[in-house]
Amino acid sequence: MKRIRIQRWGSQFLAPRTQFRPQCPLRPPQHHLSPFPQPHSCRSQSTSAGDIFPPLDADESAGLSQQDEDVSIPPEALPSPPPSAALKSAKLAALHARLSLPPRLPIQTLARALVHESADPDPNFNNTSLAILGSNLLGLYTSEYLLCHYPRLPISVLFAAQSAYVGTKALALMAHEWGIESVAEPGGEVDPGLLQYRRLAAGAAWGEFAPRGTGRPNEQKGWRRGITSKIVYDDQFGDMRMKTPEPSQPVPLDIAAESFVRALMGATYLHCGRATTKRLFASHWLSRTLDLSKMFEFRTPTVDLSKLCAREGFEPAVARLISETGRASRHPVFVVGVYSGKDKLGEGAGGSIDEARVRAAVMALKSWYLYKPLDVTLPSDAEGMEPTKWKPNLVDLGEVIV
Amino acid sequence: MPLSAVKAVAKGQNGVGAFILQCKRLDFHYCDWAGSSKGMNAFIHKRLPQFARENPQIEITVSPRPHKHPVVTGHYINGREKAVCVRNMTTELILEKANLLKEASGEKLRRVNKPVTSVNESVRGIWSPYHGAQYKI
Repeated sequence: MKRIRIQRWGSQFLAPRTQFRPQCPLRPPQHHLSPFPQPHSCRSQSTSAGDIFPPLDADESAGLSQQDEDVSIPPEALPSPPPSAALKSAKLAALHARLSLPPRLPIQTLARALVHESADPDPNFNNTSLAILGSNLLGLYTSEYLLCHYPRLPISVLFAAQSAYVGTKALALMAHEWGIESVAEPGGEVDPGLLQYRRLAAGAAWGEFAPRGTGRPNEQKGWRRGITSKIVYDDQFGDMRMKTPEPSQPVPLDIAAESFVRALMGATYLHCGRATTKRLFASHWLSRTLDLSKMFEFRTPTVDLSKLCAREGFEPAVARLISETGRASRHPVFVVGVYSGKDKLGEGAGGSIDEARVRAAVMALKSWYLYKPLDVTLPSDAEGMEPTKWKPNLVDLGEVIV
Repeated sequence: MPLSAVKAVAKGQNGVGAFILQCKRLDFHYCDWAGSSKGMNAFIHKRLPQFARENPQIEITVSPRPHKHPVVTGHYINGREKAVCVRNMTTELILEKANLLKEASGEKLRRVNKPVTSVNESVRGIWSPYHGAQYKI
């Protein structure tokens, strides 16, 4: 660790240490409560809103500001840029404007969101807490959007869609598209507009790839992880929960970039509230295109379809040849439709009758699973809404179990 | 498992929802001595503060480049950069060049033949000989 904590080492000789960095954003600065002047360990909290409140009296504030100026700790000694440097960074101001972030989001918080815990293990100065909040918000908004708009989506596709919107790869890609640049090596003297993280050396093994176990009660028996248990035991993408790496361990760029995007979401929620956060989510996430119909991979589509028809009480599915050409030629084409009674469920074309039949069954299944209700009220939109306007969403029976 | 999922990543379309200006940095280089930088020096003194105020999303740096022609360089989100030599240009012309760099996407200039580029598939679909009116020969 680069930072020297004289205060901590010397604390046994001093009076009990008072709370020096304000932890709660709404707490006024407490510098004057300290029995001893403690200039050297002072790094003013980045997201502190204490300065918003007018000081109790003018003399005290003048004394405080002088004391703050007296703090002359070289920036190279800090693990990440001090919050005061944020106001001078052209990169940060440009990033704030480029993302059209609300003016209520302070530039110091944006700077803090850019500090990954591998650069600064101190939780008061890195983005871990903001990223946890942001991750939960992103997970909530994405999953409720997917579940309400596609109520029949199978669980495995739901997991994959969730990961396509807010997974590590997607968030790292977004950070890249936002023009986030990263430091070569973190430190207090570098521009706070850069993503601060300790980068993993090329080819080095990374500890986080090690899963920390399935978390299931019968883990030692080596049973497979079923879909339903993934909902309970695994993370929001249906993947096994990984070990948390040591705070100062080097990480790949993807992980650091992902933590920035999540922290930005969390910071927006804390500073600007739910409505602004939802707007940010709609403009940056929901505007992205994802073709859900290309994410399905059926193993036995015809069996699935007949089971589905039996479950829903439709007449049994029957495949019929609609048209064909060149049966005796080198490339014949058959068009097959799948019918339930008089209703055509799907249609597919293929080089053989069997291929066309399977394609038709896949099409029928996709059109069932990708059903989209017209009127959707998201639960998070219903907060603060009149109860009469709430319309319950469709909850489906679930995918076909074969 | 009868059904599994294919992993994918949602694609962003800039301007659908949020719009991110692709130019992230503009470098202005000048020379204090050479005559070709006369317009550039005037631009930096008179016009650049207003340009920076109008475009807060661009980081602007000004640095000397002694005994060389003045240059404006744009850095883009896709990692490319574009440089324009602005020797002997007047303030207005330099402003025009700065705006050109600001509005560029950073991609290589290429000819666009099709009026519409879309990620969505065509509504009509690909023409099929097996559907619609059948021609009898």
